[in-house]
Amino acid sequence: MAKGTRRARDARAATGPRPARGPRPAAPVTLERLDAYRWRIPADARRGMRVDGLVFADDRLMASLRDDPALEQVANVATLPGIVGASLAMPDIHHGYGFPVGGVAATLVDGGVVSPGGIGFDINCGVRLLRSDVDEPEVRARLDALADALFDAVPSGVGARTGRRLSGPDMERVLRDGARWASDTGRAWDSDLRLTEDGGRLAGADPSAVSPRARQRGADQLGTLGSGNHFLEVQVVERVVDPVAAEAFGLAPGRVTVMIHCGSRGLGHQVCTDHLATMDRVVARHGIELPDRQLACAPLGTPEADAYLGAMAAAANFAWANRQLIADATREAFARVLGRPATRLGLHQVYDLSHNIAKLETHVVDGREVRVCVHRKGATRAFPAGRPELPDAYRTVGQPVLVPGDMGRASWVAVGAPGSLERSFGSACHGAGRLLSRHAALRQLKGVDVAGQLRREGILVRAERRDLLAEEASIAYKDVEAVMDTAVGAGLVRAVARLRPLAVIKG
Amino acid sequence: MTSSSSSPTERSPSTSSPAARGHELRPHTADAAICAWAPTLTTLLEEAAAGLAELSADVEPEAVPPNGPRRERVEVRALDLDALVVAWLNELIALVDIHGALTGTRVEEAARDAPGGEWRLRAEATLVPFDGRLVRRRDDVKSATYHRLAVRQGPSGAWALDCIVDV
Repeated sequence: MAKGTRRARDARAATGPRPARGPRPAAPVTLERLDAYRWRIPADARRGMRVDGLVFADDRLMASLRDDPALEQVANVATLPGIVGASLAMPDIHHGYGFPVGGVAATLVDGGVVSPGGIGFDINCGVRLLRSDVDEPEVRARLDALADALFDAVPSGVGARTGRRLSGPDMERVLRDGARWASDTGRAWDSDLRLTEDGGRLAGADPSAVSPRARQRGADQLGTLGSGNHFLEVQVVERVVDPVAAEAFGLAPGRVTVMIHCGSRGLGHQVCTDHLATMDRVVARHGIELPDRQLACAPLGTPEADAYLGAMAAAANFAWANRQLIADATREAFARVLGRPATRLGLHQVYDLSHNIAKLETHVVDGREVRVCVHRKGATRAFPAGRPELPDAYRTVGQPVLVPGDMGRASWVAVGAPGSLERSFGSACHGAGRLLSRHAALRQLKGVDVAGQLRREGILVRAERRDLLAEEASIAYKDVEAVMDTAVGAGLVRAVARLRPLAVIKG
Repeated sequence: MTSSSSSPTERSPSTSSPAARGHELRPHTADAAICAWAPTLTTLLEEAAAGLAELSADVEPEAVPPNGPRRERVEVRALDLDALVVAWLNELIALVDIHGALTGTRVEEAARDAPGGEWRLRAEATLVPFDGRLVRRRDDVKSATYHRLAVRQGPSGAWALDCIVDV
């Protein structure tokens, strides 16, 4: 709206200062230190809190969190009806809307609520990791060609489209069957589904609860990365610290990996928007008082909650099909550039996990097993060995936990540890966590050629919007090492392998 | 809900000219806040839409399709004024994702059915398809949020709003 914008600016210039004040700042919350990695927000810190807040952070992370409104959001989440244990903040927590990003909340299936804000707009945003038998030197020699091939093969950027629209029946199958739809159309290896959370198909999907508008938004976005912090990254295993788990995951030092981070695109956004609006209308009817309207929720078992969970599962399935198509395109690009089939390159999937989702799970609360709805918003399931939900291949090792860092430093593969079941409803961090606002990052790096700087460090970048790369530069994120130190120190995960970026595809 | 009102509040605008209208985008961690001000509620909603348009696309002045822009009708109902603002922006976000850059809106009506009743909005939005050249996508706006949403009318009768959108 170039013309309208100019009019508005002219009007402001003519009539003096802008009257609006902007969003107000948050009040600080009470924090008590429990140990080196845990902080408690007592349940009496804010009116209406039903449980404590519990923040996983070491001194370094807490130093950047002290004045962050995310802590107030942790307290707000503690007011949700039926919440048990504590309102949890993972080590990479940062300010969201309603729920903090990096928030985990478990609500009783019997008497609790589901809140779409506790999953987020990008339903089943998640991470997939492929490993390979290819060594770094071979990829390094063809890295420019490989980056170009991946950039061409995987549409990225704001509003990325495939140029193909899913038919109505295909959309129905994607929403119902997720990655299985891609498998049935020949775009998955058998092991892909086994090594995807929930087999790439979340039970209980109800396509009829996904609006026509949501379908319309998603119809030509399947197989696309999108923009923002989403990426596809070619990496190398730099270091292995847990050889047993690394061997189980197929990771060896010097071998190339591919990490894919994206979600359910416009379809998921619309599902969240639609159902938040519905729940907003019924909150008062259910007698629920909330400190923040963005926490709109409905009691589990009500028609509103059932409809949301059915639509959320369908959107999650869309996201799994999305990452499956991107993995398929990645294998084709590797095969083309390196001159042999992906099977001979050993491009097997390590795992695919969701970090924006709600799951019905069994956990021990106050010494007794209960069914809870675990909301993970910017948090990864991190189950240790033995949980029945894990694929056979990892049952005795534990679930891979994929922790993307930033495009200039590193990412980590970890494995769920027993402490996660004791302390975080089987959850851990989902990334490094944002440190600077997008605007602040752009300001601090004004005039800096971020892609050029990365190239000098041996990392190639292909991006739709090179001018916006600064928003995703290393300085915009917390140090993933600090996040991992806390996640490991608190007993939520064990570190397995550190991955260093070679080439990054961004929106 | 942290702040909400269709009537004057302590944080009401105090502009010297009640005829002023405009909008501004402000950074918010990974998101952005749309701040708008206008003499009437309908023009306030148009200004908020202009803020969203600026956030979501870059449109060159010569970008006019041969058959003119696409025209879409928007009709929204909501429990209160805050919900009306969020629903209005969310309608526009979906239209941008589906059809193209927002080049203008005309809000014909934004009013209550009856005192204390639901709010309704009728409007028209014009959009031009993205072509990557004259009409370029900017930020992928996911949704308008209630987070620290504030809609208020000042003593002079002028209106202002702040709305954080998830980008």
